[in-house]
Amino acid sequence: MNLFERAGRSCCRKPVRSLLLLLVVCLISLLFLSGMASRSANIGAKDSTRQAIGAGFLLEYNPVNRSQRIEEASEKISELYEDGQGSYGGVHQEKITVNGSENWSVYTDNSFESLKTEDIEKIAGTKGIADYNITTVPTAVKPADFERIEDADTDQTNDFQGVTLIGNRDMALDANVLSGNVTLKEGRMTTKEDANVCVISEELAEKNGLEVGDRMRFHPLKEEEPVQEAEIVGIYQVQEPMQPYMSGDTFRSENVIFTDLDFPAKAEQDDPLYEKAYFKVADVDDYETVKDSIRKTDMEWEWYDLIDNNGNLDTMASNFNDLEKISNTLLTVVAGAGFVILFLIFIFWIRNRTNEIGILMSIGIAKGKILLQILTETVLIGGLAIALSFLIAPAVSNAAAHYLTGQQEQQAGVQEEMDAGKIATDYQAPELTVTDVETKITPEMLLTDGAAVTGLIAVSTCASSILIFRRKPKDILSEMS
Amino acid sequence: MILEARNLMYSYSSKREKLVLKNVSASFEEGTFYAVVGASGSGKTTFLSLLAGLDAPVSGQILYHGEDIRKKGLNCHRRHNISLVFQNYNLIDYLTTEENVKLGGRKDVGELLCQVSIPKEDWKRNVLKLSGGQQQRVAIARALASEARVLLADEPTGNLDEETAAEIIELLKRTAHELGKCVIVVTHSKQLAKEADEILEMKEGKLRKQERSCLEVREG
Repeated sequence: MNLFERAGRSCCRKPVRSLLLLLVVCLISLLFLSGMASRSANIGAKDSTRQAIGAGFLLEYNPVNRSQRIEEASEKISELYEDGQGSYGGVHQEKITVNGSENWSVYTDNSFESLKTEDIEKIAGTKGIADYNITTVPTAVKPADFERIEDADTDQTNDFQGVTLIGNRDMALDANVLSGNVTLKEGRMTTKEDANVCVISEELAEKNGLEVGDRMRFHPLKEEEPVQEAEIVGIYQVQEPMQPYMSGDTFRSENVIFTDLDFPAKAEQDDPLYEKAYFKVADVDDYETVKDSIRKTDMEWEWYDLIDNNGNLDTMASNFNDLEKISNTLLTVVAGAGFVILFLIFIFWIRNRTNEIGILMSIGIAKGKILLQILTETVLIGGLAIALSFLIAPAVSNAAAHYLTGQQEQQAGVQEEMDAGKIATDYQAPELTVTDVETKITPEMLLTDGAAVTGLIAVSTCASSILIFRRKPKDILSEMS
Repeated sequence: MILEARNLMYSYSSKREKLVLKNVSASFEEGTFYAVVGASGSGKTTFLSLLAGLDAPVSGQILYHGEDIRKKGLNCHRRHNISLVFQNYNLIDYLTTEENVKLGGRKDVGELLCQVSIPKEDWKRNVLKLSGGQQQRVAIARALASEARVLLADEPTGNLDEETAAEIIELLKRTAHELGKCVIVVTHSKQLAKEADEILEMKEGKLRKQERSCLEVREG
C-alpha cells in the first residue's frame, strides 16, 4: 500500500478531522478571494474614474519672480530714460512730489501682470495636452441695467458697488466647474467661439427676472461709458459659495458672472489680464510624461509656477484608496491569521497522528514519505476546499465589497457633515462618493488564491511536522506506549 | 548468524553518566526463538530498540549478516531486515485488518490472515473493532508479511489473557521453527520465556545467557 492510497483512506475514514480542515481552508480561501476581488474592483473603478475625471496642470505667475521682474524693468527704464521716468514691459516709473518731497512711483499695467498668450499656446501644443483654458482675473465692473445681490447688513462704503466678471476661454474647464462646485441650472457654458456672452448665478437671475437669452449691460468702475452688452447663455448654481476675491459685495459669490475670455477686458476698457491657464491631460496615465514634456518647452520658466492640478483626482482616488487599504489589510490579516490558524490546527492534527507516524517509522517508512503522505492529505482536502470556495466566492466577495463600500459611504457621509457650510475653495472636491463596487472573480485570482492557500497549507504542515519528525523513532514509540 | 550485537553501550544522556547497556554482546541465529528477560528498567526494551534500528548505540555495533546496519541506514534496516511486534499492537486505526497487514509489504495477505486465525469476515473490518488477541495476531501477520528474516517483539503477550497469550506464543514459535525466522522476544512472561529456545537475561545493563533450568528452579 503506497502513501497515496494511505492518504486517500485517511481522508475518507477520518471524516470529522477532514471536514474541519475543509471548512477552515475553505473559509481562508474565501476571505483571500474576497479580499482580492474587492481590491481588484477598487483598482478598476479607480482607473476608470481617473480617466473620467481627468487631470491637468495650472500655469500661474511666480509671485516671488514678479518683484525681481519689476526691479529689472525699473533698471531698464533708468538706462533708457535720462530722468529715470518712463515705461518698459508694462512697468511704469515716474517721479511724484508729495508734501514737497520727491518720491518714485513704480506701477504695472495688465500687459505686465497677464500671462503671455504665446507661452500658453506653446504649452497647449505639447503632445498629450487634450485641451486648455485661460481664466481672467476676477474683474470688477458696474452693472448698467440690473441690480446686484447685496447684504443689507454690510457696510458698502468701501465697496466698488459692482459685480465680478470672470472670463474663460472654455468655461467647462474653469476651476469652479471642474471641482463640481459650479453646475449649470439652465442653458450652456461659454466656449472659445463665443463673444459677448455670460453665465449668471441663479440668485442674480431671480433678483432681476433674467432668463437665458436676455442681455445684460456693464460699464467700467470709474466711467459710465462705454457700456458693453452680453447675452445670457446660461444660469449656474453653486454647492458652496465661491471664495470672494476681495472683501465687499462686488466679489460675493452670487455676483460672479462668467463670460467669454475677452469680455472682461472690453467691459473694463483695459488690456486683458489672464490670471491662470489650465491644461487638460489627454490620458491621466501619461500625467508625469506630459509634465516632463511641458517642462522642456522653450519659455521663461522662472516667471511661472506649473502647478499639479489633480486635486479632484486625488480626492476621488482617496475614496478608493481607503477601500484599497481596507482590502489590503484584509488580505494581510487573512494571510497572517490563516497561517496561525492552520499552524495550530496542524500541530493538533500531527500530534494526534504521533501513533501512526511511530508505526510507519517502525516498519521502515522514511520520514520524507510520511510527511509526503500528510502533505498529500492536506493538499487533497485543501484542493477540495479551494474548489468549494471558488463556487461560493462570487456571492461572498460581492457581499464583502458591499460591506466595505457601505462602511466607506458612511464615513464619507460623516466627513460631508463635518465639511458642510464651508466656503468653496478653488479646487473643491466634487461630490463623488463610491456607492458600490462590482466585484469579479477572474481566473488569475483563482490561480493566485489556489497557489497562496496551497502554499500556506504546505508551509503550515511542514512547520508543524518538524515538531514530531525531529524526534527519534524510539522516543515516539516510547510516548505511544 | 543473522544478527549480532557487538559491545553495545547505551546511555540516555550524551554524557554517558549512567549507562543502560554496558558492553552488551550477543548473536542470533535464524530458526531460533529467543527470549530476553529481566527486571523492569534493566534495559531489555532499549536493547530491542537498538537491534531494531530505532535508536543508535553510544558505541558498539549491530551487524546484520556481518554488516553494520548503519552502513545502509537504520531506515533500510527496519524496512528490509527486521519486523516489529509491540505490546500495544500498534495498528493503524483508519485501515482495515487486511490493509494493516499489507503495510508489511505483501499484496496477497489472505494466507497470512488464515495462518494467524483471523476469520475472513473480519478482514475488511476496521482493525480497532477486533479483540485484543486478534489485534496482536494482525500485528504478527503484518510482521510476517515483511520479507524480513528477524522478528522482534516487545512484550507481545503483555496485554493478553493467558489463553490468548498461549496462542500468540505458539504463533511466534511456529514463525521461528516453521518459517525459519529469527524471533527475539522481550518479555516478563515466564510462560513465554519457557517456550523460547534460548533465554537471555538482562541484568544491570549486561546480557548473559540463562539456562532453562535456572528459570525452572526460580519458578520452583
